[in-house]
Amino acid sequence: MSTAENSQTFERLVRPQFDRLYRLAWRLTGSKAEAEDLFQELLIKAFGKLDDLVRIEEPGSWLCRVMYNLFIDEQRRFKRRRMHTVEESQLPGDGLAGLPGPGNPDYDNERLEKIRRLDRALAQLSDEHRIVVLLHDTEGYKMSEIQDLIGVPVGTVKSRLSRARARLREILTADGTVS
Amino acid sequence: MQKDEMTQQDQEIRDLLRDYPMPHADAGFYDQALARATHEGSRRQRNRWLAAGFGAAMAAGLALWMIGATFFAGPDMREVDTAIPGITMALEEPRTVNLVFSSAIRLDTATLTVSLPAGVELAGFPGQSEISWETSLDEGKNVLPLTLIALTPVGGELLAHLEHDHRDRTFRLRLNIS
Repeated sequence: MSTAENSQTFERLVRPQFDRLYRLAWRLTGSKAEAEDLFQELLIKAFGKLDDLVRIEEPGSWLCRVMYNLFIDEQRRFKRRRMHTVEESQLPGDGLAGLPGPGNPDYDNERLEKIRRLDRALAQLSDEHRIVVLLHDTEGYKMSEIQDLIGVPVGTVKSRLSRARARLREILTADGTVS
Repeated sequence: MQKDEMTQQDQEIRDLLRDYPMPHADAGFYDQALARATHEGSRRQRNRWLAAGFGAAMAAGLALWMIGATFFAGPDMREVDTAIPGITMALEEPRTVNLVFSSAIRLDTATLTVSLPAGVELAGFPGQSEISWETSLDEGKNVLPLTLIALTPVGGELLAHLEHDHRDRTFRLRLNIS
């Protein structure tokens, strides 16, 4: 295939997965800048494996697994780059700053404050616990889907989910978010 | 009673998690990411020998530039005064710069501060002229890709200041805007 044909084939295969992949990148990294980096790295890597990609029946699941592995590799290389002089939540369009504010019927002040506290509580979880609880309870992944994605047995997924929920309950009860 | 209270707490937390939001991708991000991927992929196919040579440094770069220097942990560590490297960027077109640091030993909790000239921004951090990362350096080469966007044709110098255990080094990159 020519370069143009490769590009068209690649776009046809990956574009339908973009929203799903972006959501996964955001849930894995927890920040917009890192999610965009991860999304970009995935596409670059996937384009290099176009010959494999065209033969895969479910490119979405395959791309998600590649993204997760890239995220793990990135952690190993850089131990997750964490901004500490810039509050992510204060960045325009990033973190929770992009949330609707007062006056929005979907997010009244009390609800918004609870979600901010949830955000801070999630930040206190280990990555493996945070990722599992977000994928299951927020994104609606099935246990088997998480198992396929992160490559651990369902029993381990359940254990991580249980511990993550317990830790969230502990934090959010202590600060009065839930009663 | 205790069980009921816990169940109510759990339910409330589940409800919060279900509502836990995330921002949407910026308009045009998908198209840009796709264009970069196909461009970079094609370029890599043409330059496999180069990719093999630089390995991880190529991983995330739309365009490659390297600021290379050795970050020693020894007490006599000091900046080496060398000619300032430079790149030319197109106005309002993202360009990825790979900062490459070599370290003689593993360094934990190093701090990297990037200072940008006026009119140049780091993608994802609009309006921020100075941004810091806390990171660790493995023994050997460490790569940090930064995607820059020039908003004015002025240009200037990017400073990357690496600090660890009261020792530091500063690297400079001249940014010319075309």
